[in-house]
Amino acid sequence: MYDQIDQKDLSFVGHDVPRIDAIEKLTGEAAYVSDMILPGMLHAAVKRSPHARARIVRIDTSKAMALPGVRSIVIGDELDYRIGLYVVDKYILAREEVRHYGEAVAAVAADTLIIAKEAVRLIEVEYEPLPAVLAPLDAINIDDPAKPGKAPLVHPKLGEYDHVRNAFTPQPGTNVANYTKFRKGDIDKGFAEADWIVERQYTNPSVQHVPMETHVAIVQWQAGDRITIWTSAQSPYAVRNLFCHSFKIPHKNVRVIIPYIGGGFGGKAGIGIEPLVACLSRKAGGRPVKLQATREEEFSLLPCRSALTYRIKTGVRKDGKIVAQKMTMYWDSGAYADYAVNVTRASGYSCTGPYEIPNAWVDAYTIYTNKPYGTAYRGFGHVEFSWGLERQMDLAARTIGMDPLEFRRLNTLKPGSVTLTGERITEHTGNVTKCIEEAARGIHYGKLTKEEAARQKKTGWKIGKSVAGLQKAPAMPPFTGTAIFLKMNEDGTATANVSLTDMGQGTYTSLAQMLAERLRMPVENIKIAFECDTDRDPYDWQTVASKGLLIAGNAAILAADDLLANAYDMAGQILRALPCDLDHDGKGVFVRHNHEKKISFAEMAAGYAYPDGNGIGGPLVGVGRYIAQGLTNLDKATGQGNPALDWTYGAHGLVAEINEETGEYNILKVCSVFDVGKAINPAEVRGQAVGGMIQGLGTACCEGYIYDAEGRLLNPSFTDNKIFTAMDLPEVIESAVVETAQLDGPFGARGVGEHSMIGVCAALGNAILQVTGAELTHMPIRFEDVWRALQTKQSPDAWIVKSPVKHL
Amino acid sequence: MLCEFDYLEPTTLADVLEILGQGDAGVRILAGGTDLLVNIRAGLITPKALVNIKKTAGLDTFAFHPDRGLEIGPAVTINQLITNTEIARRYPLLEQCAEMLASYQLRNRATVIGNIVNASPSADMAPALLCYRAKLTLTSKRGSRKVGIAEFFTGVKKTVLAADEIVEKITIPASEADGKGGYAKLKRIKGHDLGIVGVALHKKQDYIRIAVSASAPTPILAPDFQAKDSPDYIAEQVLAAIKPIDDIRSSREYRRFMASVFVKRLLEEVRA
Amino acid sequence: MKITLTVNDQVYTRECAPSKNLLHFLREDIGLTGTKEGCGAGECGACTVIMDGKAVNACLVLAAEANGAQIRTVEGEAKDGILSPLQQKFMEHHAVQCGFCTPGMLMSLRELLERNAKPGEHEIKQAIEGNFCRCTGYQQIIEAVLDLTGQLEHKGELRHV
Repeated sequence: MYDQIDQKDLSFVGHDVPRIDAIEKLTGEAAYVSDMILPGMLHAAVKRSPHARARIVRIDTSKAMALPGVRSIVIGDELDYRIGLYVVDKYILAREEVRHYGEAVAAVAADTLIIAKEAVRLIEVEYEPLPAVLAPLDAINIDDPAKPGKAPLVHPKLGEYDHVRNAFTPQPGTNVANYTKFRKGDIDKGFAEADWIVERQYTNPSVQHVPMETHVAIVQWQAGDRITIWTSAQSPYAVRNLFCHSFKIPHKNVRVIIPYIGGGFGGKAGIGIEPLVACLSRKAGGRPVKLQATREEEFSLLPCRSALTYRIKTGVRKDGKIVAQKMTMYWDSGAYADYAVNVTRASGYSCTGPYEIPNAWVDAYTIYTNKPYGTAYRGFGHVEFSWGLERQMDLAARTIGMDPLEFRRLNTLKPGSVTLTGERITEHTGNVTKCIEEAARGIHYGKLTKEEAARQKKTGWKIGKSVAGLQKAPAMPPFTGTAIFLKMNEDGTATANVSLTDMGQGTYTSLAQMLAERLRMPVENIKIAFECDTDRDPYDWQTVASKGLLIAGNAAILAADDLLANAYDMAGQILRALPCDLDHDGKGVFVRHNHEKKISFAEMAAGYAYPDGNGIGGPLVGVGRYIAQGLTNLDKATGQGNPALDWTYGAHGLVAEINEETGEYNILKVCSVFDVGKAINPAEVRGQAVGGMIQGLGTACCEGYIYDAEGRLLNPSFTDNKIFTAMDLPEVIESAVVETAQLDGPFGARGVGEHSMIGVCAALGNAILQVTGAELTHMPIRFEDVWRALQTKQSPDAWIVKSPVKHL
Repeated sequence: MLCEFDYLEPTTLADVLEILGQGDAGVRILAGGTDLLVNIRAGLITPKALVNIKKTAGLDTFAFHPDRGLEIGPAVTINQLITNTEIARRYPLLEQCAEMLASYQLRNRATVIGNIVNASPSADMAPALLCYRAKLTLTSKRGSRKVGIAEFFTGVKKTVLAADEIVEKITIPASEADGKGGYAKLKRIKGHDLGIVGVALHKKQDYIRIAVSASAPTPILAPDFQAKDSPDYIAEQVLAAIKPIDDIRSSREYRRFMASVFVKRLLEEVRA
Repeated sequence: MKITLTVNDQVYTRECAPSKNLLHFLREDIGLTGTKEGCGAGECGACTVIMDGKAVNACLVLAAEANGAQIRTVEGEAKDGILSPLQQKFMEHHAVQCGFCTPGMLMSLRELLERNAKPGEHEIKQAIEGNFCRCTGYQQIIEAVLDLTGQLEHKGELRHV
């Protein structure tokens, strides 16, 4: 929904409006679920598996139950409920077998957390350790993943599990939770046409989201199966829907309340600990029970980002045009499919990047292993594959002797280009070429500035520069929708109810700006109710995928328009004018050709009352409903279809200095550019641009799960799983936007919450490569990895499988 | 969330020694608490009682005496050390190591002696104290004894400190003052992190002393070098003294390589 | 054991288990939940409070140790419902996203500003090195402090290109 309005005519949209939730967060008054204490509330703790895979021989809870203050204990045998977003494969507590290190096998609710933890210690679990399946490539029949392999099955009953059939294809009898494929053009013809072919394998580990507030839920299961869930989750309706499916309870009986959320990043996208806490409450006679994950539990009780192993084979013509690309992705789902199957699908249809590749072939597998399971994570697969794809772009460019920036520019998607799934790009889709060029300009690509040259001379550390492109569309059902209720208050201020959540990304402030723009009243007069409540707020699918601004933004505009239509109706009667002759300002409605004739929103808010007491109109409200338009499921055989609500493009330019002797490096500058369509709140866009970029650099430099040979996680805390601190910032950070209006975006806007994280890892790898020749194929890039790569200094020849010159 | 324990706050050293002298291994001294409370939370230690010595008279000694040298009591925090400009000037290595230790908030609580008593191989204060040949005064009801810092550590998280003893003070000889030096620490991030390997170098008129953290079960002091020794020789000797391991933070090989690089970097700095 | 401490100029006397840390004491016994727990192990700084003038991780201080101490928490930062200048600058510069690290971040910076009225960029970074923020990337936080202390040369901006 885009009307071309010049920025100078916009009063609130496009301005750095302060966050509407700033005051309560700055004073410490914002109450998160972790701050809540309910009358009679019990505290829960979880018994977890020390094994990656083991048969549960016996669980003895008698000593724990005898501990004074223990009110309920649950074990897997008594909870015959399976949960799953797309493949329903997970019990609330492990039954018969544990499938990953850290998996919950029993839980306790007690009067205090100390008692609960002591009770957990007293629960005796006898395990029979079983051989664990740890490496995804060992878990399948690599020659034909559809056929059984040699590895034990993580889910022998995969064939019995319910799953979302129009999107996913599990392979029963194997460890493949989903197989997705994409076919465009003629791959053999493409490779035949190529003068050069390069092929290389890349890997990324699992990564933890690290929201500052760990997962926490309070659940009260009252008589008559009336259940209230307070949870630090991203998506109230998803929690309710999945909960009700598992327990076969009417949706009306379950109320999900989400107050302020201390960060999510995808880790709180679906359902987590809520069902377990609910069972503890039910067994404790309906007392509310609170479970808050410890930081250590965040790493292995709760899900992480999936690891990825992938091969890319790229065919390039001498003139620099990519003519074919084959990509095989092995996503390590861990023990459960959760979002990983959809990460597989979404990364599959995006994995040609912001480039046009006429002949493309993608096989993407989601593979079960005995490790903590993967879920949504900011970037939803794109951070992972963009590492290899953008490294591969540099490899291909170097192979044919072309500058990597020029090579990218030549191959970008442009109006008329066709994507991997057959979507035709238009001039309104966004301009990735411009993003790449501006990122290059921002870092003075291709040369050293005077200061940089002096610095390089002084330190001896080589300064490298690179630019990586990126793109992402929301991964969501084609029919994703939302609704907003807008209510005029008796004083002429307005309150909106939404169940899209604001976990810090700032969407609520943007929604308030759009409502303000439409209602023509100051943002201060508009409230977006911060606590989401499924009993009160209208439906929203999930707060994920960077789609909230577009979909909810449109709904907000429609809600404002609906409220205004109702106001004009009422005002027309009061002012004895036709609605077509009415106009409004921030205070009320007036007759366009006679401004003296006016009626305020305040006077109409509860319905208008004439001096004699007669009333008309009824309370002034508006409803906005919006659903994604024109999207389709993907053809299962070819992957063709239209999955993308919008494509947000971007690029990172990165400058790094590297010590060629030791592998140490410093990041000097990052310049990030995104085509956001319209920056509704530039300061907030910048917050997303910088925050995501830094999170991306964490992934690039230091984060990642490390397991021992038995599948035990060796770094489940901040001691050995570092995240970036203020000391780790690049010396200079610049953020910029291109604004190619999205025609179905509110005020032309599209989402940018995840994009800043994508591509920056590869930009670092490529900058290091550029000046040192260190070829890195694994994230994160530790100094030691650079040092090792410098020892071997592999020539790109190692990955060339076809060449027009005889050097092989 | 911690286990249950008692809390004691003795006001005199005699009271501290009396409590420790009862020979109960479950009684632990609480100084900064930045290691102890973390270990209790992790279930690695389940003490019966903690003895807070921060309010005990005399244990906050922190002064330089021209004859005895610098004396540091067990209540002295890392940040107290950093903010004392006179001492930082006399003993630059102390300040440099201190600044690399943990984060600002932690340095406000963590104590110099606590860092040593915790006896982590990566203890950041150890290299400075080793280079300065600090002496520890270990005191119990039975009396006091002095132990050189190099003899204090016996293994990973192990020292010669007996259950009834407290490190009453650390003494750094006055003769070690006014040297040049530096501390190079390899970390995974630029923010607060445990060291992958750390090298401290202390240079006086006629000798160079080098200590290394995170490269053996204990922090290591290399044999003294002469000011004229070549960087290659010194690096070789340092590498002969350390025994790094492979772990999730680094390989043994890279630790050795970086130790050698740091030795040469620091030598270059002090000779510049 | 019985302890008495002053929090944001209010005196509190409470019975307290010796094993309880200051963080849980503030949150559970006094009801000041502005101070957050992010790790419980002194790594993340979400629980930073000012104790006798020094920023500390409240998760690594026993409540018993704070007996007699002066404590300041985020709840003491605004006065009479008016944000402090530091809070104002946080708001202006969008230095808040999810808000969970914000209370600890503010306390670290409050203590910094008391010992150094004009901290440079490096000193600001050092002061909050122990405060993890997963949302903002720290940049806008640093700019807020530079602006507060009159050192921000140009306002951080999102360039339109």
